[in-house]
Amino acid sequence: MAGELTRPREGLFNRVYEIFSVVDRIPGDLTDPEVEGILHVMPRELRKTMQAFLVPRARDASLEFLGLIKRWLEGARRAKEEGRKVVLVPFNFPPEIIFCFENAWPITSEVLTTLGVAALEGQGERYWDFAMGLGLPDFACSANMIEVGSALTEIDFAPDIVLNDCFASCDINSKTHEFLARYLGLPLVFLEKPPDDTPRGIRQYYRYFRAMLSDLEELLGERLKVERMREVLDRVNRASELYWELWDLHKFRPCPVPNIFSLMTYGIRYTMWGQEEAVSAMEKLVNIAKARLHRKEYPAEREVARAWWTYTSYYFDMPGFFNWMEENGITHLGDGLDLVFPRIIPLDDRDKMIEGMAETARNMPMTRQMGASSMSAQWLEDIIWATRELGADCCIYCGHHSCKQTWSGAAVVRKELLARTGIPTLVLQGDSWIKRMTSMESLQEQIKEFVDNVVSRKKEGRRAVKRRTTGVTGGVSRS
Amino acid sequence: MIDLQARASQIETEYVRRFKEGGGKVVGYGCVATPVEIVEAAGLLPYRIKAFGHPDTSLGDSYLSRFNCRFCRACLSLGLDGSYDFLDGLVETNGCDHLRGMFENWQYAKGLPYFHYLKVPHFVRDDSLDYFTEEIAMFRNSLAEHFEVPVEDEAVWRAVEEQDLVQSRLRELYGLRRRDVPALSGAEALSIICTGSSMRASDFARLLDDILREYSNRKIEGFRARLMLLGSATDEVDLVADIEGQGGLVVTDALCYGSRSFWERKGESGEIDRFLAEKYLGNLFCPRMFTEYERRLRFILDRAEEARVDGAIIVYNKFCDLHGVESAALRADLEKNGIPVLVLEKDYGSQSDSGRVKTRVQAFLERIGK
Repeated sequence: MAGELTRPREGLFNRVYEIFSVVDRIPGDLTDPEVEGILHVMPRELRKTMQAFLVPRARDASLEFLGLIKRWLEGARRAKEEGRKVVLVPFNFPPEIIFCFENAWPITSEVLTTLGVAALEGQGERYWDFAMGLGLPDFACSANMIEVGSALTEIDFAPDIVLNDCFASCDINSKTHEFLARYLGLPLVFLEKPPDDTPRGIRQYYRYFRAMLSDLEELLGERLKVERMREVLDRVNRASELYWELWDLHKFRPCPVPNIFSLMTYGIRYTMWGQEEAVSAMEKLVNIAKARLHRKEYPAEREVARAWWTYTSYYFDMPGFFNWMEENGITHLGDGLDLVFPRIIPLDDRDKMIEGMAETARNMPMTRQMGASSMSAQWLEDIIWATRELGADCCIYCGHHSCKQTWSGAAVVRKELLARTGIPTLVLQGDSWIKRMTSMESLQEQIKEFVDNVVSRKKEGRRAVKRRTTGVTGGVSRS
Repeated sequence: MIDLQARASQIETEYVRRFKEGGGKVVGYGCVATPVEIVEAAGLLPYRIKAFGHPDTSLGDSYLSRFNCRFCRACLSLGLDGSYDFLDGLVETNGCDHLRGMFENWQYAKGLPYFHYLKVPHFVRDDSLDYFTEEIAMFRNSLAEHFEVPVEDEAVWRAVEEQDLVQSRLRELYGLRRRDVPALSGAEALSIICTGSSMRASDFARLLDDILREYSNRKIEGFRARLMLLGSATDEVDLVADIEGQGGLVVTDALCYGSRSFWERKGESGEIDRFLAEKYLGNLFCPRMFTEYERRLRFILDRAEEARVDGAIIVYNKFCDLHGVESAALRADLEKNGIPVLVLEKDYGSQSDSGRVKTRVQAFLERIGK
């Protein structure tokens, strides 16, 4: 297997970079038949993904988003060429912290995996298989292991520093990155969140956060400069405002925000947050959603269900997931990875900016829920908040097999959510990044059965009760 | 001769029953990061949660999933079916994602009268030691308050001395295993440690004295290889007996129901909470600890060297993230150091796994020429 991976071009990062360099050249003013023509000549997996991105309702936003991804990958390559350090971070670490350093550029493990799964022939399976060949366990998380597997081949673009802040919120993530750092002989920077949300626990987190910054400063040979931080965080604040604007747009019925915007939102958040490209891409998402609201556009005849995905989504078949759902009237309001809780960071002085970044990091997805005093209580609270805010009528837990920490709390969350809000949860099982575990067809079938038999019937029941109590018939209120 | 196996096979032992009948209270804990001296100083019985390979996980499965470690599901099942109703309280630690899930669901479904979450940092540094010191102080206060007993410094220092005695006796016991002609099998050693983890230190020290007296002249001969066992939470005496049944005597271990629970437990501070923080956090040879791989490897190599092992078996439960990833690195590093390794992923408590385990151990013994 390693023999098949001996050419530098065969690494995940390098392959993805080349593909996105080509994709970035797609003009923005193509007609639908021209898009069809382009899709026709694309390799199968890429074609599938691009079908999801290039549907007319999402096309403009997608082109902006794909361009952002290309510039993110390019930034990492340029950093390397210029002798700056590339820092591999997990999705729950805010990349803007790395952007605050002149000598560093962040790349994100799970995003690279998702790009590989989305764009490469054979998706990410060859890298997964390589990692398994080293003796790593088959219950590891594919979100990490695909990118890490590629890095472990030692023929791919490699980071200079590994940073991890997942222990206490995800064992497999922290162990996988620790293994990578040791295997490649890279420095490992870490940040722990005590599972403690009392003022004392928060104070301790801030203390660890400052120690982590000192470690980075030492490794990068650079002290954080107030002016640069202010510039980066000003862009963060602008993107954060746009995030909340987009959040509010989800509240309309039918939802004017295309399903795949959920993925794009966190795709932006986990890569270029703090760069001008992120502001511009968020603006694009907001403007498109506003225009759709104005035109009352929705991909199906009617919105049948408004679903909140309680943790991750599925990424190995984007048209089969995001597009299929909305074309069947099922709105994907967002998932746990969208719960990034962006905040406006005061830019007054160094301390306030550092504290603002620490607070942002403390509230990133997974860190905030699984790293809480109770892994089910905080998660439940966030789901209840999101479902109420957005008017969800059902929840779906993707059941990514490696998320043992969420599996540990999933039963309590499902029971309590139903008891407290009446919202039912569908529990699926599969691998979000590997198609060979549960097929998209099987997932679609389970989602459809759930929506038809539980969500729709429940709504029908509510309507019938309303009709009985108000004496209204025919579904049109005359009261 | 003391029947070691029988002592270690029950959840509610005769000792626990007598302790309760005498008006004593029992507090359960799940991880060796729990400073049991605090519990002892409060006059309570610290009881380490075990499942002894209990095969039925049906009640636990209604809260945890099949992707969670079966050891935790088995413990949770026992917690929910009433087997652990003798507990007066439970101490949660963030040992791993599965263990946290087990404790949370246990408390959610059952609601024990006393439940405390002791938060253990994942690395050793001044700032993490400061935090853990405060955690230990809070744990003391919480026990004192709930059980309405004083937990004075002097009492905790006395408990430290008693634990030191237990630990020195256990090191002597491991000396019996390491002999050229060992006096104790791995299954017996595991039984003893499991037994002791449900006893107060002073009583366990006396039991260890009796065992050392009785077993010191015993000779185990006729085995094919000297093995080391390391890996995840293993209280399955039958599993070790199965391995030894194939001819590989387990002469040492690096298990958390084994040497990792007592080997180098020391602190330096003269202030008791800080001392315990140093003792427990500074000597936690568990892959949950970040950036400490080299220390863990050294610990394992030292144990292997002094016991002159022919090979090592890394055993871990399916879905154990910490040991699953660690095993890949350990296998490579132990083999680099001349120690052949068998990595044995297993389903905890599953009878159907027993045949496979035996076959793999037989093949391993053949591979190492024994």
